[in-house]
Amino acid sequence: MSAAANRKPFDAGRAAYLALNIVLLAFLLAPIAIVIVFALNPTPFISFPPVGVSLRWFEKFFASSDFMNALWLSLWVAACVLVLSVVIGGACALALARGNLPGRTFLTAFFMSPLMLPAILTGLALFQSYLLAGIGRPIWGLIMAHTLIAVPYVLRTTLAVLHNFDHRIEEAAAALGASPARVFFEVTLPLIQPGVFAGGVFAFIVSFDQFPVSLFLVVPKSETLPVVLYNYMKFDLDGAIAAASMVSILLALSVVLAMERLIGLKAYVKL
Amino acid sequence: MISRRSMLRTGAIAAVATVGAPSILHAQTKTLKITTWGGKWGDIMKATVLPAFEKEFKCTVQADQAFPFMPKLQASPKNDPLYDVFHTNSNEQWSALTEGLVMAKITAKEVPNIADVYPYAVSDKIVGVTIFTSAIGLGYRTDKGIPVPKSWKDLADPKLAGQRGGYLIPVNSLGQCHLMMLGKVYGKGLQDLDAAYKALEQLKPIKLVDFTGQMEKMLLSGEVSEGVIHDSGVLRYEGANRQPVEFCSPTEGVMALEQVLNVTPGSKVKELAFSYIDYMLRPDVQKLLAEAVWYSPANKKVKLSEKYDARLLTTPEKVATLIQPDWKWYNARKDDIDARVTRILKG
Amino acid sequence: MSKTFDGKVVAVDGVTLDIAAGEFFSLLGPSGCGKTTSLRMIAGFEMPDAGRVHVGGQDITDVPVHRRDMGMVFQSYALFPHRTVVQNVAFGLRMRDVPRADIDRRVAAALAQVALTGMEDRRPSQLSGGQQQRVALARALVIEPRVLLCDEPLGALDRKLRQQMQFELKELQRRLGVTLVFVTHDQEEALAMSDRIAVMNRGRVEQVGAPTEIYGRPRTRFVADFIGEINLLEEAGKPRALRPEKIQLVPPAQARLSGTVETANFLGGATLYRVQAGGRIWLARETHAGERSPRSPGDPVGLAWNDADIVTLES
Repeated sequence: MSAAANRKPFDAGRAAYLALNIVLLAFLLAPIAIVIVFALNPTPFISFPPVGVSLRWFEKFFASSDFMNALWLSLWVAACVLVLSVVIGGACALALARGNLPGRTFLTAFFMSPLMLPAILTGLALFQSYLLAGIGRPIWGLIMAHTLIAVPYVLRTTLAVLHNFDHRIEEAAAALGASPARVFFEVTLPLIQPGVFAGGVFAFIVSFDQFPVSLFLVVPKSETLPVVLYNYMKFDLDGAIAAASMVSILLALSVVLAMERLIGLKAYVKL
Repeated sequence: MISRRSMLRTGAIAAVATVGAPSILHAQTKTLKITTWGGKWGDIMKATVLPAFEKEFKCTVQADQAFPFMPKLQASPKNDPLYDVFHTNSNEQWSALTEGLVMAKITAKEVPNIADVYPYAVSDKIVGVTIFTSAIGLGYRTDKGIPVPKSWKDLADPKLAGQRGGYLIPVNSLGQCHLMMLGKVYGKGLQDLDAAYKALEQLKPIKLVDFTGQMEKMLLSGEVSEGVIHDSGVLRYEGANRQPVEFCSPTEGVMALEQVLNVTPGSKVKELAFSYIDYMLRPDVQKLLAEAVWYSPANKKVKLSEKYDARLLTTPEKVATLIQPDWKWYNARKDDIDARVTRILKG
Repeated sequence: MSKTFDGKVVAVDGVTLDIAAGEFFSLLGPSGCGKTTSLRMIAGFEMPDAGRVHVGGQDITDVPVHRRDMGMVFQSYALFPHRTVVQNVAFGLRMRDVPRADIDRRVAAALAQVALTGMEDRRPSQLSGGQQQRVALARALVIEPRVLLCDEPLGALDRKLRQQMQFELKELQRRLGVTLVFVTHDQEEALAMSDRIAVMNRGRVEQVGAPTEIYGRPRTRFVADFIGEINLLEEAGKPRALRPEKIQLVPPAQARLSGTVETANFLGGATLYRVQAGGRIWLARETHAGERSPRSPGDPVGLAWNDADIVTLES
């Protein structure tokens, strides 16, 4: 048989599939490319083709105490939200999957409900509740609000892992002499950990990027980065916004990569 | 394993510490809660104006620069409002008034410096006190070979098809001002909506934005050659940021874009709130802010440097070209107007 | 022992088993017969509603799973996917706080026993099904359990491998002298490996006995029918049974009953016939030395048997 005869016939379906993927990828990446161009271009407006390369917007971003305070606050809040939502979401998922609770379906839907409500309403409702309760708008109120939104992500990923979890692995451990506590720490926890931490990464990013919920809950001088950026944009629509976006993207990316290195998100999960 | 566990533990302790920390209460000094703008204005407020006020009046000022102010004020209890002084553009003060969120009138009795302001600042078109105004006119590129505009009608020049810029009228007060101006220029007056709708139709194709800042950028980048904009949005691009963009005050007059301060009726520190408005009307404070962001001061006694004096509305003659929109009238019809203009500008 | 689930389904209904030390004991029955539930009660995963579990004269009914000192092997292997082969096998020893050096020695010995030396640092996902089952076996045996419980341990393996593992498991059990309780629904497997078998049906034990006894002298209709093929007869109002291999195919002239061949299934070492005779179907097995039997469907054939081979069943 000749080599030519062996060549695969042109597959229109496959070509269309490939083209669709390329288009989707371009659609996802194009805005980032524009942000990069805008961030590096010295003019205070988007001009194409760019007139040069300059770091002036990055300098402006890093020199601004407003931006820096907001950045640190956002990171700090996101870190707290990560820890809280991992603990709460993980515990909830275990209770829902294992606890034999009455009304489990309802409870699951209930815990997922923050995702279904428009976040802006969640923010406004919490804002009013806080004011009515007379507690003002403390930073922990903001963290709680973000956690509320982030917990469903952890719940989802953990439930997914628990769903595929072979209960007999825990029984095997028990039969081998592991007490219930040791079964949990030696077997259950390590096995659901990838799901919990994948949810944790989502939680971090959901909090770090959170705008609608934060909008009403931040107080003057303690505003998170997305809120500061939004308000900055109303007055100065310059490259500092793009520089800030780049920094945000890189930070979020490095958190994901760090988590992946530290925890090994896909080390032993068949995804 | 150990490092991971200890890391988690540290994080948990930190989280608990944050949650447990009591909010610090300023029991001694009074706190004045205000809204204010961001950008260059906000920088000067935070760096100079507010610290000086705090020192002089022995108080702390909590300045909220994060939009949206109105819903936050609406959501807070009336007897303990989130803000003492409410800084917005004029039209929002009218909406706030109908909901009882701000005071109807402020006079020289509460704020002595009101005695020195131009009449427009406390006219019947204003709820509260105007501290600055901008002029809404036309911005245009000087490098595109287009004729220098003189009238509002010049925006309809067929040569500008697709090159002219306007606003999404439902969400932008400059767009709303422009619509009223069209009624005046093409019809019987600011309230001649039928003439305004017809004129608006003639402006198509037109590039529309929602933020005023976007219009500034489109002019700076040359994406539009001529568009509706306030003077500050053109004049403040000086020095390295300068582009071939100029501002024109059309012969029919410019629309006023007022910066208005008002006090919330439920404020617990009303005296301090009035003092703050009075302070913002002081000639030295007015000069500082006016020259920072190219706003025309409301106080007649302010003497700006030559450069600013030449371009801003600083004399009775120049102030006379200001046309104040009747926001009470406009807001009452806003829903109908929104529906109509959306239909006109669609497609 | 008895066990009811959700207050309605009776899973195990008054089962009493007496298993000797060092015995290979099978619980055999169709799915849902209560064999796995019985095993889980022995292991301690389920609490019997009534009845007690004794091991070596000691009542362990109230002893929690992790203090029962039993090895357990599952059909799904239930290996720890996040641990290596060595860590899997060492787990039980670690839980018992065995010194490190002893752990290493005993794990190595256990792995040698199941022929997995060299696989120490692999993860379960990198092993074949048979290898995984051996790890599970080594993990259960390394703790030197009083009883080894196996729940369909070979069910997930293909036929060839299953047969090989049957030999290995049996051999290992004999060598170590461990008491082994083996749950299976595969009667061939149970017959091949067990010292004794308990045939279960609907939560009850139908018969306990050695494989030859279970096969040759089934006590009930269910046991007779469940184990291998059988001809169920009715004589003098009593149920009786006759194994197919006890029926000889003879020329019609010498037959007790004559009929015609309906189907002939060639099984390699034997042929299983379905014969239409006397108004019913008879099963007859004829062993032969490999050459194809000359009888084909439709051929006339005679059936002969010895009355002593007929088993009378309980009615």
